[in-house]
Amino acid sequence: MDLDPPLVARWLDPLAKQPGEIADLFLERRTEAGIDWRDGEIVATRFTATEGLAARWRGGPREHLVSVPRADADAAREAIRSLQIALGRPALPARPGGASLEEREPELPDVARWRRRITAALTRHAPRHRFRWTLRDVFRQVIPAGAPPVSFSRRLVSLEGTFTAASRRGDEDRAFAFHAPDTDATADELKAALGAAAMPRDHAVPCGSGETDIVFGNGSAAVLFHELLSHPLESRHSILSALKDARLAVSELEVRDDPGRLDLCGGYECDDEGTRPRAVKLLDAGRLAGRLTDRADPDRGGSNGHARRAEPWDPPLVRGSNVIVAGGQVGTDEMTRRLGNGLWIEDISAGTIELASGSFRLRFPRARRVRRGRLADEVGPGVAAGDVISALKRIESGLGREVKPYRALGWCARAGQVIPVQGAAPDVLIRQLAVRPSA
Amino acid sequence: MTGDHLREVLAARAPRDWELYRKAAESRELASGPALRREVWRSERGWAARWWENGGPRFCAAATPRGLEAAIRESARTATAPADPPVWPAGTATPAQAPPLASPPDLFDELARLVSAESRGEASLTQLVVRRGVRTEGIANAAGLDVSDASQHLDGFASAIGRRGTRVCDAILLFRWDGEPDVTGLARRIADRVTLPLSDRPAPFDRGEWLLDPAVSAALLAALTPIFTGEAGIRWRPGAAGLSRRVGIVDDATADARHDGEGTPSRRVTLVADGALQGLLTDLDRARRSGAPPTGHGVRSSFRTPPQVSPRRIFFVPERTETSGELLSRVRRGIFASAVTAPVLADFASDRFEVEFTGVAVVAGRAQGPVAAARAAGRLSELLPRIAAASTDRQFFPLPHPVGAPTLLIERAAFE
Repeated sequence: MDLDPPLVARWLDPLAKQPGEIADLFLERRTEAGIDWRDGEIVATRFTATEGLAARWRGGPREHLVSVPRADADAAREAIRSLQIALGRPALPARPGGASLEEREPELPDVARWRRRITAALTRHAPRHRFRWTLRDVFRQVIPAGAPPVSFSRRLVSLEGTFTAASRRGDEDRAFAFHAPDTDATADELKAALGAAAMPRDHAVPCGSGETDIVFGNGSAAVLFHELLSHPLESRHSILSALKDARLAVSELEVRDDPGRLDLCGGYECDDEGTRPRAVKLLDAGRLAGRLTDRADPDRGGSNGHARRAEPWDPPLVRGSNVIVAGGQVGTDEMTRRLGNGLWIEDISAGTIELASGSFRLRFPRARRVRRGRLADEVGPGVAAGDVISALKRIESGLGREVKPYRALGWCARAGQVIPVQGAAPDVLIRQLAVRPSA
Repeated sequence: MTGDHLREVLAARAPRDWELYRKAAESRELASGPALRREVWRSERGWAARWWENGGPRFCAAATPRGLEAAIRESARTATAPADPPVWPAGTATPAQAPPLASPPDLFDELARLVSAESRGEASLTQLVVRRGVRTEGIANAAGLDVSDASQHLDGFASAIGRRGTRVCDAILLFRWDGEPDVTGLARRIADRVTLPLSDRPAPFDRGEWLLDPAVSAALLAALTPIFTGEAGIRWRPGAAGLSRRVGIVDDATADARHDGEGTPSRRVTLVADGALQGLLTDLDRARRSGAPPTGHGVRSSFRTPPQVSPRRIFFVPERTETSGELLSRVRRGIFASAVTAPVLADFASDRFEVEFTGVAVVAGRAQGPVAAARAAGRLSELLPRIAAASTDRQFFPLPHPVGAPTLLIERAAFE
């Protein structure tokens, strides 16, 4: 039986009568199609259709969540009833005759169009490969007590795996990842990204240890700022928590978290508490400007729409979405000249940060050494590390002109919850960041 | 719609090559902190099917039987390359009943007090999440298999912060308890993890003996598991290079569940003994390709994913019984690694490993002072034969399957 939002809201309203109380019902239906390709052949497929909902109550420091692995009216009643019993509130009567056995038939994504396009792109650019392609359809609905219900859906495409490419010393295996919302332009963008990844290049040699100047190019600075700003500003216990309005970087640097960018994987029309999201300036003219908040945060002037859940049974956490860095005036040639001697990094495979100390590390599979303003040999893999405050201070004025989405970043894990995120950034030059080779 | 109907649907598509899996799980989670008390009651139901249609393998999963039937229908529209199906196990077992689900213990106050005491007030617990869960899984297949298993678990994670002057360090530690909660041991791990890095002292030696806390040994063993699953990319053979004779490695999940995620009976598998690789873990697919019998290591990390070969409960078995104190006394000049500070890296193709850790410098069996951050790196093929001793203090850690490890002593390690 389909959900009746006004009826569910009437069930929830008594749970949120007191000031500071929050009650909501969150529902998700998700379908996924996955295809494994190996050297031009489809070797395995996987189709999944999952659903679930959760009723939640929060009052001050206390929170209670009950999830049910179905997404219909009976499941909503069951979740809210269990929640009421757990809170010692008057409970809805059990449904006469038990739960309905009627099940909704999910609509699974049609993969035919994508299958043809992926096959063509792989044949042309990477004929020897092991790739997994995934198409995810997610529908989410939030019914908050005392506020109108909201719903939205997203469709995301991912291609991840390895392929054999030519290097100047023979064939080599290269990793490739691409994540994007499914739009008319996505297939062409994927094709271009795959073509660029398959370009011939030199064999990488180990990079040295020590401090070096680095340009994060081709949008990869989005990962840097995801670690440096997005994560610390999700938390109340980070190194940036006590630095309101502090000048941390050059005045040219503007960074915002923007869930409204639906062309990026981290975008959404409403967050998982039912709040319409706002773009939040994290750095404004180099100063710490804003923080990410949810409805439960009492100190920060209300939610700016950054409560996110990985699964229906997860409680919402304050999380970032799309990190957007404003562009500057510097072209690529000029950026290379300004770098002088150092590393040009365009691929980052992983990033982590310790929130309290602010120490972070970024793993890069390879980079290009720059000598006297000219691109030189390939190096890698390696780790670039530092602390948030020093790294922000060492960012040079003069940002790249072109702001590019970084499609290799698609997912972020925190506290076991994995959610879609992404970002876009221009080329960014940082002086004296510690680098060392890695396994 | 029921499981019987789904069996008919699958049998109609692939009379001899189908498998149906169902899962029901419940858990209670308690998250506590100075300004938080959150209870989460989770419930999960899932169905999954594998079958070989027109010679090609397919996998579907859904939260409901009707959803699974729709997924099976949609899946049939995409052709897959032919591949041989596995030899399906057969047999039946008495249906398993999940034990009643109890609430997780509220340990925050006790753990917070112990963490503070262990760290002389320098560390404080910021959040503790304890989760108790039960689940039942059932598997049927075209060969007539119809078995089920029930299991329970108690696990979670703790986050803490250490402060000394202007220096701070925070960390999250995972734990899993098979019996009663070991709160004291967890408090010691937390205190070490967030206070040792505050010293700011680098590794005082560039080589020496390396004494590994059970948590570090377990992280190392977890990183080495591709050796035991025979995953591609390993260009060197541990058997040829030789392994340490001082410690064996075994996988034995017989006490956890009667069957793996494909219905193969659980059994004890000796992986390393007498300094040589004795065998590999296999699931049905790996067994078909290698010609070896399946060892019962087809693992489903979720009902949404097909089973994959993986350890289920892997652990070190010491050849001699020594205490961790005796191992410490054998260290002439080295470092005790108390906790890892980054994921252990093992690159089998290039035969390299890298472990970043925090710990204590040791000279002549005595602690000399904390080491904030150190890195042990080198060749994997040289690391494994250098395990000189293992103690009797084995503990299990969720990585994510249970990994059991004692204190290990490794000779001639290189530090940075």
